[in-house]
Amino acid sequence: MTAHPENLKLIKEISRPDILFSVAALNETKVFVGSSDSKIHRLNTQEDKAEPSELSGHTSYVTGLELVGDQLVSAAYDGKLKWWDLENKAEIRSVDAHAKWIRRTALSHDGKQLATVSDDMVCRVWDAVNGNCLHELKGHQAVTPNHFPSMLYCCAFSQDDRLLATADKIGHVVVWDLQSGKEVKTIETPDMYTWDPKARIHSIGGVRSVAFSPDGKQLVIGGMGHVGNIDHLGGKSLIEVFDWEKGERLHQLADDSYKGLTERLVFHPNGEWFIAAGGDHAGFVKCIDANTGKTIVDSKASTHVHDIRLDDQQGMLVAVGHGKLSLWQL
Amino acid sequence: MSKRRNWFCGSEEHRISRRGFLGTAAATAGSMSALNLLREPCLAAELKKQDKRVILLWLAGGASQLETWDPKPGRSTGGPFAAIPTSVPGIHISELMPKMARRMEDTAIIRSLNTKDGSHGGGARMMHLGRRDEAAVKYPDLGAVLARELGSADSRVPDNVSFYTATEGRGSAVGQAGFLGARYLPMSLTTNSKPDNLARLDSISDLDHQQRHELRELLSNRFIEYRDSSSLRSHNEAYSRVRGLMSSDKLFDVSEEPQSIRDLYGPSLFAEQCLIARRLVEAGTPFVKVSRAWWDSHGQNFETHLELVSELDHVMSTLLDDLKQRGLLENTMVITLSEFGRTPKINASLGRDHFASAWSCSLSGCGINGGTVYGATDEDGQTVKDGEVDAGDLFATIYQALGIDPHTEYHVGSRPIPLVHEKASVVTDVLA
Repeated sequence: MTAHPENLKLIKEISRPDILFSVAALNETKVFVGSSDSKIHRLNTQEDKAEPSELSGHTSYVTGLELVGDQLVSAAYDGKLKWWDLENKAEIRSVDAHAKWIRRTALSHDGKQLATVSDDMVCRVWDAVNGNCLHELKGHQAVTPNHFPSMLYCCAFSQDDRLLATADKIGHVVVWDLQSGKEVKTIETPDMYTWDPKARIHSIGGVRSVAFSPDGKQLVIGGMGHVGNIDHLGGKSLIEVFDWEKGERLHQLADDSYKGLTERLVFHPNGEWFIAAGGDHAGFVKCIDANTGKTIVDSKASTHVHDIRLDDQQGMLVAVGHGKLSLWQL
Repeated sequence: MSKRRNWFCGSEEHRISRRGFLGTAAATAGSMSALNLLREPCLAAELKKQDKRVILLWLAGGASQLETWDPKPGRSTGGPFAAIPTSVPGIHISELMPKMARRMEDTAIIRSLNTKDGSHGGGARMMHLGRRDEAAVKYPDLGAVLARELGSADSRVPDNVSFYTATEGRGSAVGQAGFLGARYLPMSLTTNSKPDNLARLDSISDLDHQQRHELRELLSNRFIEYRDSSSLRSHNEAYSRVRGLMSSDKLFDVSEEPQSIRDLYGPSLFAEQCLIARRLVEAGTPFVKVSRAWWDSHGQNFETHLELVSELDHVMSTLLDDLKQRGLLENTMVITLSEFGRTPKINASLGRDHFASAWSCSLSGCGINGGTVYGATDEDGQTVKDGEVDAGDLFATIYQALGIDPHTEYHVGSRPIPLVHEKASVVTDVLA
């Protein structure tokens, strides 16, 4: 069985007292979640009462989890990357990776490189096994055009792991060549950033998710459209599909049904469609045709979704967010 | 309206109006030593009060106490920011305020405000007035009271200035002079940082302007000769100050400042207006409110506060440094205040909502015992655990620190109106 968008259906929800920012799946039943309580919890999703067991060592929100062989790597707002021995529940290595919050991690498809992006506006690429820093990528401005701190929200490897995309608060996207460590393309997505110069004199928005298509031709970018009342996440969820080499926007999908941030984008391996998830006070999960930019199927989630993991072989999607872990059939 | 003057010593030479005294004192500074007035304790205190100034940093929309003055790291309500130690042992504040953390000696934090009103409009009124209006009485706000108490009639600078350049929340934070009359309303700057129409028209000579002023005054005085109207009097007072105010327009021009000072404050509008506030208090303006909107972070509270607190930390610390280096901080109080704080509970939009039950403000400089924390909230910040303070207590404390007896009474007709509500008490722990 492989995942198919027409099958999208919520099959189970597990409530949690905390906010879950990241998820990694060991197999179809055992998942790890990164929490607002600064810990990593292991949950068995098949048990009626999912009893967590903890890995602890961070001092702030755990926003990135990646499985590297039989080890788990976690990243957090405390700026640290930690490697964990899952069998002994022990910390193997801790690296002071960034001076500010680590917003996102991405593991290369061959499992050898790990990318981290931070509000210090640097992307670092690490040897995923030994923790050595391989690249330090600097191409995002530290402050917004209005003189406030900017934020570097997300990153994603291309399928062949030769490229890495990073994106920031003001909608500046950079595609990097990982052999040279140089920029190969920049793309601007100004609709992702709302600066309110009159009513509130502050900003909201940014590019919160990015993904390459499996053939490497498309770059999909997610965030939120312009917002009138920026006190809330009141903008339409927004996705833009680019032919990144041409710098040409192919599709812009501003959703009338769902508001808030598109937090995660994950392509199906066949490249025909991708999953987008996120939300405002509530959440959404939707599947989008990559060629037309049209929504194939969508569903309201009971709460804001911060991270997803697709298990194509099992036809399963694990989503985590505000006080919830949810399992979706695909 | 009249006022019970509790500074009166009883001697005949002191049987003068305070305004008359201050006016005389200002006009005849050279004769002061001859009169030896400063050796009279009560008058010396009165003169000293003259020099007091206040800059209110109004954090409109409700700044989060948890991301500023009362962090709760490690608690589910605490959010992702750490607490950092300050230059005063034992006091920790949010990591978003590293510059203020190095300058806590001049600042007192009150962490135990319970003001009960979680609406923008009601909360803003409450925190401007120190209480609620009554059906029959509109109270003067902090700026109006301080303009009256600390200002002088013949001042050539405005005595109550309010910057509120953003539009959101402005209607809740407008100046209110209440029974004190329009004379004490703020000069409100809402479109830019410089007053419009303050400069004399080129088509009118200074002589023409002076003569028009004298003619208006003559006609106006004849009109009110047999009338008893406080509004007419305040109207006339306002006009009488026009020429002085017109000469103060350069105070609002930041290009008059050295570029090095402007660079220290930074490029934001809030920074520029705080620099103007410093120029104003240096020139003698007793009350300036700089409103920074908009902190209403129902969604993305942490991103919002990363943006706004970083700016507040930089600008506020620069302002305090600047005032200190100029010898002004001893006589200038800097206050941070909102209409309320924000909920400890983090909502699903990673936001915080309105919360008036347990929140914080800060007082720096004049009359304040810096490096102190008063009051405490519980471990999750849900309730005041110790030293509950309401709006009246806070205002009483501010007045006391400025040398104004908070139990002074005004009279509206025959009704005595205390400066603060009757149950209000001074938080003496934060006073120098």
